[in-house]
Amino acid sequence: MSFTDQEILETVRMFELETLDIRTTTLGINLLDCADPDIESACEKVYAKIVHQARDLVRVGQSITADYGIPIVNKRIAVTPIALVAAACQADDLVPFARALDAAAKTVGVDFIGGFTAYVHKGYTHADRALLESIPRALAETDHVCSSISLASTRAGINMDAVAHFSRIVIATAGLTASRGGLGCAKLVCFCNTVEDNPFVAGAHIGIGEGETVLNVGVSGPGVVRSALARLGPEADLLAVAETVKRTSFKITRMGELVGREAARRLGTTFGIVDVSLAPTPAIGDSVSDILELIGAERTGAPGTTAALALLTDAVKKGGAMASSSVGGLSGAFIPVSEDSGMIAAVRDDALSLAKLEAMTAVCSVGLDMVAVPGDTPAATIAGIVADEMAIGMINNKTTAVRIIPVPGKGPGETVEWGGLLGTAIVQDPGKYSCERLYLRGGRIPAPLQGYKN
Amino acid sequence: MARRFLTADDVRREHSGAIVVEEGTIVTPQALETARELGKVISTAKGPYVPPAPDRGPDAGAARRTLPNLPEPVDGDTQATTMIVTAVGKNRPGVLAELTSALAEFHASVHDISQRVIDGYFHLILVVETPQGMPFGILKEKLEALSRADDYAVRVMHERVFRFMHRV
Repeated sequence: MSFTDQEILETVRMFELETLDIRTTTLGINLLDCADPDIESACEKVYAKIVHQARDLVRVGQSITADYGIPIVNKRIAVTPIALVAAACQADDLVPFARALDAAAKTVGVDFIGGFTAYVHKGYTHADRALLESIPRALAETDHVCSSISLASTRAGINMDAVAHFSRIVIATAGLTASRGGLGCAKLVCFCNTVEDNPFVAGAHIGIGEGETVLNVGVSGPGVVRSALARLGPEADLLAVAETVKRTSFKITRMGELVGREAARRLGTTFGIVDVSLAPTPAIGDSVSDILELIGAERTGAPGTTAALALLTDAVKKGGAMASSSVGGLSGAFIPVSEDSGMIAAVRDDALSLAKLEAMTAVCSVGLDMVAVPGDTPAATIAGIVADEMAIGMINNKTTAVRIIPVPGKGPGETVEWGGLLGTAIVQDPGKYSCERLYLRGGRIPAPLQGYKN
Repeated sequence: MARRFLTADDVRREHSGAIVVEEGTIVTPQALETARELGKVISTAKGPYVPPAPDRGPDAGAARRTLPNLPEPVDGDTQATTMIVTAVGKNRPGVLAELTSALAEFHASVHDISQRVIDGYFHLILVVETPQGMPFGILKEKLEALSRADDYAVRVMHERVFRFMHRV
């Protein structure tokens, strides 16, 4: 046989023991042609078009799993930012769009649908404002809809009015889903330098430069990288660590490339991108934190953690770039606190503070993700956390995001169980000092020199 | 361009009892319901309305042409119809016989075989060529059904998985 036993067993081990999976096949669907002055008609069209385009998505995912033996965990849909589709309606309440998205998601059987989205990094349209105001109810009343807001970019600067607005929306969303630990906020994220082909929720949506439909794949495998580094041992130098991560990332990404090509072929659509992201799950071993500790931080959050994460993110990207011509999305390492059992342990042991987490986001592939703060955190403080994160993205020409959950009724150090992939969180203390003055000033932080590239 | 959608509102506005839509029009469920309530009939020039096949847009044609022709990782002598069966578990007589008789039932031929036993546990690798037209999924299901929690586990994967992962 032309594959060695070692090669075959390595692959089988990755799937069986190291939780390698295709995290998602995400079908992007353009909804701009659903715009209608009548909101009911627009929602009818949105529902009908999604069902029309995605009715085979789940079946195709299952058939690929059956034919290749590769697990595909989630099937998702990403749509055009709803604020653009809804603009023609001139409606103040856009919750009906969220209901239409949710109903379509249920009909076709996908896990999530992303795109209850607005781009407000430079300014608002009436529809953008209506969309933001509709978010708390939209997320409380639906099961599968995810919402994302673009608040900043390197080219545009940071829309601080929108940052303040977003922070109030986060608090309102937590309030409406208080009985579930503020869970609505797990489906709400804001971005700097938003990515228009991101297959991962909550930020999934398709940008206006995308075609009619596109199939994007998200592949994940922190468990595989962790095992490879464990086998490498503690004596190997950092160049060897980077090389091991890179080779492993190459292999993981190839699975995404295979599934992406095959899914696009079977659906008869365009293959967009493979997003190779180490996305942890609460399962033991499926942890980015474990990798950082294997690289050499005693606990995640210790000095050196940011350097280890920088090495990891970069090596993942390099391996991915060699494995596919279509690497895109966010690609790198995610650090969603509640979803990673190692990170939660680090928070519990006082190893990982919110401040250190923020530093880590300067080199990870996204940002502050699944962070719980006290339910009575003022809007100004949340706006400050968001603004800091947006600033990191703006200045470093990278995507940053914030998914923050003010957990109603909980204070620092308390635990909240969300269950499933969202995991367990320990409420973190944002500190006692305020940024009220910055919050009240409003306006825009102008684009930095880094943005002037023409 | 033809009208892409027919909504309930469109049906209500239509004076005629027979609504003829262009090929490819997406009629919303609410439009179908409204037409039924008002006793109107929706059809296309070719006959009764049926939901159209998905229109993937202007890029899809090029994608359909390009995707099958993208360069693939190559490997010497493996065939596109090859699958790789691995079994891991406690060693006992008859494991190989069980697997190969299941394969024989489907006229699948074993091209290569490798087995090791370490400390009472075995791992077995079979490279199997499946007959033309044999649905991979059915054979995979049949073989994986031989797995028992306290005995051995079977995993079946397409050779393309290994080719993509280990070859450039």
